[in-house]
Amino acid sequence: MNILWLEQPLCQDVALVGGKAANLSRLAAAYRVPPGLCLTTVAYDQWLAAGKENGMDTWPSALRAELAQAYQELAQRCGLDLPVVAVRSSAIDEDSQDASFAGQYETYLNITGVDAVAASVSRCWESTRSPQVLEYRRQYGLPCDNIQIAVLVQQMVAADVAAVVFSANPVSGQRTEVVINASWGLGESIVGGTVTPDTYIVDKESLQISERQIADKQRMTVAQTEGTKEVDVPRFMRSQPTLDDEKAVEMARLALALEEEMGWPVDLECAYHGNDLYLLQCRPITTLT
Amino acid sequence: MAEQNAGGPPEPVVLPIPPDFPVTWGYPKEQEAPWEFDPMHFPDPFPLLEAEFLLPIFEKGMSPGFASYELPVQALGHVFNNYIYMAMVPAVPLEEMEAQGKRAEENLGATIARLQERWHEEWLPAIKTHLAFWESFDLENAALPDLLTHFDASLEHSNDLWNIHFQIVTPVYTAMGLLDEIYRELFEDENVFASYQLLEGFDNKTIETNRALWDLSRSAAQTDAVRAILANNASDAVLAALQESAEGQVFLQELRAFLAEYGQRGPTWSLSQPSWIEDPTPAIKNLQDYIDQPEADPRVQQATLVGEREQAVTTARHRLAGYPEQAVGQFEFLLKAAQAAIVLTEDHGFWIDFKAMYKVRRVLVEVGQRFVAAGALENANDVFYLNTDEVHQAAAALPQGDLRALVDQRKAELEHNRSLTPPHRLGTDYGPPPDSPLSRSFGKFFGLPIEPQEDQSLLKGNAGSPGKVQGPAKVVRSLAEAEKLTQGDILVADTTSPPWTPLFSTAAAIVTDTGGILSHCAVVAREYRIPAVVGTGTATSTLKDGQILEVDGDNGIVKIVG
Repeated sequence: MNILWLEQPLCQDVALVGGKAANLSRLAAAYRVPPGLCLTTVAYDQWLAAGKENGMDTWPSALRAELAQAYQELAQRCGLDLPVVAVRSSAIDEDSQDASFAGQYETYLNITGVDAVAASVSRCWESTRSPQVLEYRRQYGLPCDNIQIAVLVQQMVAADVAAVVFSANPVSGQRTEVVINASWGLGESIVGGTVTPDTYIVDKESLQISERQIADKQRMTVAQTEGTKEVDVPRFMRSQPTLDDEKAVEMARLALALEEEMGWPVDLECAYHGNDLYLLQCRPITTLT
Repeated sequence: MAEQNAGGPPEPVVLPIPPDFPVTWGYPKEQEAPWEFDPMHFPDPFPLLEAEFLLPIFEKGMSPGFASYELPVQALGHVFNNYIYMAMVPAVPLEEMEAQGKRAEENLGATIARLQERWHEEWLPAIKTHLAFWESFDLENAALPDLLTHFDASLEHSNDLWNIHFQIVTPVYTAMGLLDEIYRELFEDENVFASYQLLEGFDNKTIETNRALWDLSRSAAQTDAVRAILANNASDAVLAALQESAEGQVFLQELRAFLAEYGQRGPTWSLSQPSWIEDPTPAIKNLQDYIDQPEADPRVQQATLVGEREQAVTTARHRLAGYPEQAVGQFEFLLKAAQAAIVLTEDHGFWIDFKAMYKVRRVLVEVGQRFVAAGALENANDVFYLNTDEVHQAAAALPQGDLRALVDQRKAELEHNRSLTPPHRLGTDYGPPPDSPLSRSFGKFFGLPIEPQEDQSLLKGNAGSPGKVQGPAKVVRSLAEAEKLTQGDILVADTTSPPWTPLFSTAAAIVTDTGGILSHCAVVAREYRIPAVVGTGTATSTLKDGQILEVDGDNGIVKIVG
């Protein structure tokens, strides 16, 4: 119960793994979701208890061994000796339909090796007590004590292009169109607002691209040893479209299918590595009225 | 410099003709062209026949070479007071420049992707076919009319070779320039040399020649008698001394075998100057230097460079591991292209600029020889002071005729013109060329204009090769003056062509008047790991022998420290 794999049915239990991981777990069988595992709230409680006894960041040895074994298995699934992973927090009330918590919790990208994974997991767990998170929770009227948090450890996708896709227009509220924001590299520059991404608007009915705004994309986030960094986009790529029509439509189809599956308009993060489209996150659009 | 209009292209400015460099314009358009002097390749005034054979480099070589990629510019050539000038002018109406420039970039990109294939399957075989034209002709025994037909045909073959030359160098320099640009963008690296480390240590014909020369020096060092002859004679006296001993004659055989393979080159881009086969003094000077440089083994140096290059490539790939495939793919594409390109920067010159032009020279000198035999000329080399029409007329009149007075007059003119200072520009100035990958690469090849320095003890140039070193200056105006260069000296020259490069193992650093970071001099100095400051504009005219210089290759600065 400490560690659940995304495709395990139990991993759809929000109370154990949080909204983010539960949502992904629901989709892992049918969509191309990078292989991953989740350290559950049960694991968090053990870590917290061990910490209270022995000081901060102390892992119960059994839990630590379990993580090592799981990382080993992930390596086998990826066919790699040392898979590179993304470590993200998945709070129990995060990605609920009312508050997205987008960017509130810590995310560690490009992490390699079980020691680094364990350290990143600890930091995710510690981040539940950060002032920003507590303030955010107060604003949304969520409880500030007994916060439950799980951590998702997933193979990292070396994204050529990352995108945030909305199955309804989050600005106009228009539900007949899909809006895609796509830019070079990892999604952090889009999410963090440091790049003006390309925008594609796709009509849901006809799957025709009704609008294409190719931006001058100046910055991108790339993976670097034990993390990421934001760099200048090489000049020749700046005004190149990140997506051809086929890829934009493939993203729109994905958003439509997910909206159908989840039963609510979705906001998803996805990425192309080569010609493979990976689903990285899926959550409800919280701003629609 | 043309003045910048607000927003628009610069207004053309008709340049004044300097009072001490008289120019009479021919047809009106002549004055409208932006004539530029190229001291990196053609610093000296040329006699008539040589100029007539070299001038088509532009209109018959560069222009069709550019046109093969649909570049929207063409080149013109002109001789003013025996100095060669070129001008780049639009090849299409101005409103079509941009669209055609885009097409040219695509065409260049297609060749950049397959430089090695085009070299091996197309360009080198074509070059060898042209060389076979000369090699299959029995110069000495040809009847005069046949020789004259061969003489005319030689110009056609020469022009075709210059066309191939520019089909090669245009994508070659573009590829290296683009790699440098993407490297600096990806790694935000301010070190001007960083990208060129990825190109170090590849074998080329210049390095191969220097290696053969080195091997010859090891052979000489093994025989005491030969070693003594090399040590105790001036370079130009060694040949005679070798002939006087049995061991010397054995070594002479080896030297001749080397020259037959690698000596088909003169000291610079020229037809009127003797090749190493005719006058091996520069090669012998290199041999003498190599004897005392047991550590200068080119193989060891090359192995070091290869190791560094591989390390640099590995590091770059590692840093790019997390980048989008589009960026990695473009980097790998340009890396492969530029690695092929850097070899061709030297090899095209070996085959065309030197080997083929040596063949042309032999034809012209043989024609001169016929005039000498008939008593019309004093020396075969004097034929260079005639033009092609005069050659044909005089040949038709043989055995009558005496060309010596005419030659003397032409020599006097040339000597007078040698004292002139050719201005860098003539005609009309249109401002800097429009930005393109090619114009940026040309900037790296020819170097950027240098602002004059107020501080008299300072000379600014382009960074050519990294490192800082001190040593006494030796101003070497021609390879014939190279004798005075000794170990640890700073070689100061207006330009250095490939035949100068064995001197780079004797020199502690290089300072030139001309060139940029992609010039022959800078590329080879990096291979020899000696600092170089190139394109100072004035080094040979302001620096004096024996002055102690500090050469800072990283920053492109030469300081006079003593």
